[in-house]
Amino acid sequence: MSTFADIQYDQVDLEQCHAMQLEEWEVLESIYPDCCISSDFSTRYIKLEIPVDLGDSRSVAVTNNKNLSALFPTELAQEISNSIELYDQLSSLPPVLLHISLPAAYPVYAPPEIISLQVTHSWILQVNELQAKLLEMWQSGEGILYNWVEWIRSAEFLPSMNVTEDDFSTLHIPHPAPQLLLPLLKAHDTASKSVQFSQNAYTCSVCLSSYKGARCLQLSCSHIFCRGCLEDFWGLCITEGDIGRVGCPDPACVKNNREADEEEVMRVVSESDLKRWKWLRQKRALEQDPTMIHCPMQFCQTPVPKPKATGDEDSGWARLRTCQACDYSFCAFCRRTWHGPLSECPISFTEVFIIKYMALPENSQGRQDIERRYGASNVRKLIAKYEEEQSNKKWLESSTMGCPGCHVHVEKSLGCNHMTCAKCKQHFCYRCGDKLLASNPYLHFSTPGQPCFSKLFDFTSVDDEWQPVEGFDAL
Amino acid sequence: MDARLRRVNKEITDCKNDKSSNIKIDLIDESPFHLKGSFPGPQDTPYEGGHFEVDIVIPESYPFQPVKMKFITKVYHPNVSSASGAICLDILKDAWSPVLTLKSTLISLQSLLCSPEPNDPQDAEVAKHFTTSKRSFEETARYWTQIYAGGPGGIAKSGKSPEAVRDDVAIAGLEKAHVDQFEAIGFERGKVIDVLRRLNYRGANVANISEDRVVEELLK
Repeated sequence: MSTFADIQYDQVDLEQCHAMQLEEWEVLESIYPDCCISSDFSTRYIKLEIPVDLGDSRSVAVTNNKNLSALFPTELAQEISNSIELYDQLSSLPPVLLHISLPAAYPVYAPPEIISLQVTHSWILQVNELQAKLLEMWQSGEGILYNWVEWIRSAEFLPSMNVTEDDFSTLHIPHPAPQLLLPLLKAHDTASKSVQFSQNAYTCSVCLSSYKGARCLQLSCSHIFCRGCLEDFWGLCITEGDIGRVGCPDPACVKNNREADEEEVMRVVSESDLKRWKWLRQKRALEQDPTMIHCPMQFCQTPVPKPKATGDEDSGWARLRTCQACDYSFCAFCRRTWHGPLSECPISFTEVFIIKYMALPENSQGRQDIERRYGASNVRKLIAKYEEEQSNKKWLESSTMGCPGCHVHVEKSLGCNHMTCAKCKQHFCYRCGDKLLASNPYLHFSTPGQPCFSKLFDFTSVDDEWQPVEGFDAL
Repeated sequence: MDARLRRVNKEITDCKNDKSSNIKIDLIDESPFHLKGSFPGPQDTPYEGGHFEVDIVIPESYPFQPVKMKFITKVYHPNVSSASGAICLDILKDAWSPVLTLKSTLISLQSLLCSPEPNDPQDAEVAKHFTTSKRSFEETARYWTQIYAGGPGGIAKSGKSPEAVRDDVAIAGLEKAHVDQFEAIGFERGKVIDVLRRLNYRGANVANISEDRVVEELLK
């Protein structure tokens, strides 16, 4: 008790100081909740962790330049043989940790007492200087904590720590071992960005709802969407086999055909969709090759590339393909089991007798003979298969048009007759199946005398005719 | 409530609250997935003063698949089918993005009216008219705006039956003198209009098409 008497503070002053301390802490906590780690006002002990915010991402260089070596401890300075300077883009630097004890007479008569000052990863070496500078800032009667936090947080203190900014606004941090420090700075920056991202709220421009960052994903093009929408969108594209659309949904990225990379897809879609996406991507790459044939085995269907040149293209061996996945060897022409290089492709025996069977009248002797020979249920199964193939073929002929480039069949649901094949990018006319010039595809429809002249829109369906609004109810 | 319905409801509300864009979206019936959009024709274009309506059908997998839009109001424009109102705008097809909304798409349609793309035509005849004589094209587009979109000087609102006052020659973007000339030879007026329109018998192009060629077409 006598010490108090010695320095002659009276009780009223100390109570006032205490109230000021509490108020200062309250204000500080409300402005910088992430900097205020803990406080214990029974012992007046405070912990602050102050991150250094560089604002937008900026260029940072860590350098052990000789000119700066005077700043380093002598034993380190001697070890530096050649100067290194390493760069990266950072938006924050590791925090300064301050442990402070507030004297009873702070802030009116005494400055705070700094018990310890540390800089994470020691990217600032002159901690003593920093401590001295901080204490210099105190003026009797004023709370200083806010100024300290602001000075460090805003990166304003960097010049006094010999961190300089050059004409290209790159920050130069002097450090004896740039190759060790820079990865640490980078790792810290990435971690703090991800913490910040998960705490912020973002509006997903697909579902127009706002979500916490933890439920969102930032793609490498920096656009942010909620995970739910990305999963729905990519999942749908993957289900439909349209992997060219698995990418950023932003209109600019869509125009640039920016596809998502494997990591992004992995973070968004389900296990099975990811598997299918990988498979589709591999398939697409393989199908760029027109000599590719899918394995005729129903369960397999792996793309089988043409083997490397075997020499004579006319030799029967050129027809041989062997599936890498199931080892099935088959003929590239008829897709049946390999029948050697010499014998012609066999005509399907089953197709022959099914056609014969169909031509015979119902319940005729001929039909009964065939049924007895091959088994009635077998015949029924084969007929069902044959009819399905026929109706498929008929539908392909009547309601679709084959792309003249890659023979994929497309069915048009709406729009004009100028088609662009989604698979091989060939321009063609949906009416007649002719190839169109990519440079001027409409010439085909605007040249008088051509069969498709002024037939860019020739709708056969009545629904597409111009009708009053009531008429659209049919849609 | 499914995501599609939630988003469409948000879009409709957002459009109602936005007074500055002049874009309107209305329900046609009970369904929120079949709508009618409308916007005024852009200023300083032949479409100025007109009111353009667009039929909107929202597909099952919206917004991941593009919305289906076509003009209800007849429009004379190189990128809109003059027969069906079909629009072949890139964002309605492969350049569609789930970020685009009904409002932003309607705004794109509105700006399409400002800047026709005759090199990427959806109506080849209209596009040819546009490239042959821009002035004559604009006259026809203005006339269509008057009679179909309620544009200024229009007759759509006058008491007379529109059919009675509509000028088929002006609708086709032709000159009365040219039509009269071939009608006088003894061809039916409707057929003359049809053939001259197809041949783009307009402006400087008239000199390139011989009368024999026209008669040949008329006789087909």
